Amino acid sequence: MELERPQNVACPYDEQYVTDVVIVGCGFAGLNAAVSAREAGAEVLVIDKGKPGYSGLSPWPSSFRWFDPERGDDADAFRQAMMQGGDYLSNLNWYNKWIKESKGIYVRLTEWGILAQYPKASEAGDFYEREDFVGYRETFDKFDRRKKWIAVLNRYEIPYLEHTMVTDLLMGENKEKNPDPDKDRPGDGNRLESGIAGVLAVHTQSGKMITVRAKAVVLATGGGSFKPTGYPTGGNTFDGEFMAWQAGLPITGKEFEDFHNTPASAPGNVFLDNHWQYLENIWLCGGDITAENARTYAAGKGNAMVLDKVRKSVYGMPDADGSEIQDVRNAFFTRRGGSAVYETDPEEVRSGKMSTPVAASLLAGAATGMCCHLTSGVFCGLDDEDGATAVPGLYVAGDGIHATSPSGAAYPCGVGFTSCFTSIDGSHAGAAAGKYAEAAVLQAVSEETVNELKEAFLAPLKRERGFDPNWARDVLHATMAPYWVSTAKTEATLKAALTQVEYMRDHVIPRLCAASSHDLRLCAEMRHKILSAELKLRAGLMREESRGTHYRSDIPYRVDEDYLCYILQEKTADGSIMADKVPVPDAFAGDITLPYDKRYVYYFPGEPEAKGFTPPPSGFGGKRQGDAK
Amino acid sequence: MSVIRLDLNKCIGCRNCVDICPCDVFYFNEGAHKSVLAYPENCQSCGQCYLNCRGRSLGMVNDMYGYPITAFRGASSAPMNRKIVTVPGVITEFTRGKLPGV
Repeated sequence: MELERPQNVACPYDEQYVTDVVIVGCGFAGLNAAVSAREAGAEVLVIDKGKPGYSGLSPWPSSFRWFDPERGDDADAFRQAMMQGGDYLSNLNWYNKWIKESKGIYVRLTEWGILAQYPKASEAGDFYEREDFVGYRETFDKFDRRKKWIAVLNRYEIPYLEHTMVTDLLMGENKEKNPDPDKDRPGDGNRLESGIAGVLAVHTQSGKMITVRAKAVVLATGGGSFKPTGYPTGGNTFDGEFMAWQAGLPITGKEFEDFHNTPASAPGNVFLDNHWQYLENIWLCGGDITAENARTYAAGKGNAMVLDKVRKSVYGMPDADGSEIQDVRNAFFTRRGGSAVYETDPEEVRSGKMSTPVAASLLAGAATGMCCHLTSGVFCGLDDEDGATAVPGLYVAGDGIHATSPSGAAYPCGVGFTSCFTSIDGSHAGAAAGKYAEAAVLQAVSEETVNELKEAFLAPLKRERGFDPNWARDVLHATMAPYWVSTAKTEATLKAALTQVEYMRDHVIPRLCAASSHDLRLCAEMRHKILSAELKLRAGLMREESRGTHYRSDIPYRVDEDYLCYILQEKTADGSIMADKVPVPDAFAGDITLPYDKRYVYYFPGEPEAKGFTPPPSGFGGKRQGDAK
Repeated sequence: MSVIRLDLNKCIGCRNCVDICPCDVFYFNEGAHKSVLAYPENCQSCGQCYLNCRGRSLGMVNDMYGYPITAFRGASSAPMNRKIVTVPGVITEFTRGKLPGV
């Protein structure tokens, strides 16, 4: 029998804080943002909905990838793979930042102990044979990278609030606006000129509300999912996206779907899908893309991440009996993201992902609702360098909240790119926020405004009848997960799902009930998920073509004339949604004079017939990368 | 599919589960100096609490029922034929009922 849940939990935090820079969310992006803001001389406060190191997606990367010209890495080849594999929506400005800065981030994270290497389970005692997960973790406890997050925060003397959810952004009410170097960013910034004033938060276990006044805020909240189905999304529920939306900022990339799969034998079991990869070191990757293999590399990624799930959803999948495992031990090393010279160059440390075998992932939709890595979130302009938004002092950083889009419409960059890239992204946003705070003053925010926001958050506690947020979560998940909504979309199925989501928005969300502060968190999260679902469906309807991880089975081909662009959605003053297209610059768009089947490196079901070309025997434009040595 | 309590007597009150859980599934009972598995319906089965439980008081259920809907699902004989594993702390439907508190 479990003990009674305590009714009154003490909150370890004060009711009010004042600082220079608030970092909301502390994964790879948030941690790097916090340190870089601190190094810029700012006083920093970190707020995380869980515990730094253990929340969001950041506890789970299996790999880390960087570019190393000293080891012969080829920037042009990698760029070609990114552009072709990303279906020409790859933002080359951010890609170039990764080329220049990824090695520095490797050095930084290594120094922090996050990339420490140690024996894997199948080569250390008999942990693998006995499936002794806890014993393995305890044996290599000192290497546990999750613990390094708090160690880094302590080392830089950065205070943090744990299990504290930021519910609202506070907008400044000073007559004097703060000096803003980024006033031309897209979006109307909530029609406020003066700048960000801080955030409102709640300590989730006690229900105590906390006001933080700050000169700058960095949203590093990650993306989210409706309900994780085998892929660990932690507590990520689009909180940052919702706040950015409320602030009048444009959201982009929602139509591009996450590509992760989950085991057929236990769909929804995050632990089964990830245990050894969670427990073992982060595998070092890179150096696997060369001028010779760039096109087939991109094609192979497209086949594995896009076509495999599209084909299975359209045609069905073979029987799975639960015995399928993903065993990389006999795979050629570049197949695992390792360097082409790993075996011959003693200085090369990038072996690729060589984790102990785990259950093979066969079913799509491991994180239904999550967007393809790095493509979705706030659009900060084509000249964006630091996640600065149209709200003076408000920055975004990291996967799911800052649409940097280095990998475009899919994820052709190989394993380990995101953990590295979001660290770069975070370091820029943190440094920019720190610099901004130096010249800014604290903005005032009225007690009346704060009280209104508090009341809105607490409203579900006061409702005497209504709906359970867990029920609403399951209904939304069941609406959005099926392949005709998430994988092989059509106008009719997207519209049908949108009708469901709009109904929930108008009739369910306003009637969610809470009996505790825990429930209040769930109610707010549901509000965020519903907005995210609506934006996702609308973006899917707007993009009347197939591209990357967005496959429309009713329009199974790319339409370059209309959709070499980012689709933006933004809330207008009257609450309606305004949509816009931002064409990609010519430099991102690749050679548009090439014949269609040469320009694209993999083809959707129905595409060759629709466009009138004969697909290669492999069906996707290339052999699987790394198959032959 | 979620975390379960294997044996409350083994909880030493280290608070790791309360600290680590990204979804606030655990609370702490100060009087008894033990954690409380308060909201198992919000468990995402990430297993971080189980892996960090110093008293080995927690386990992970690996039953087939209760899994969320996936994007698609072909024929699967997994529930009938899948490998039955007996792992310390990982409970399948076959070991269910043989352990205290399960």
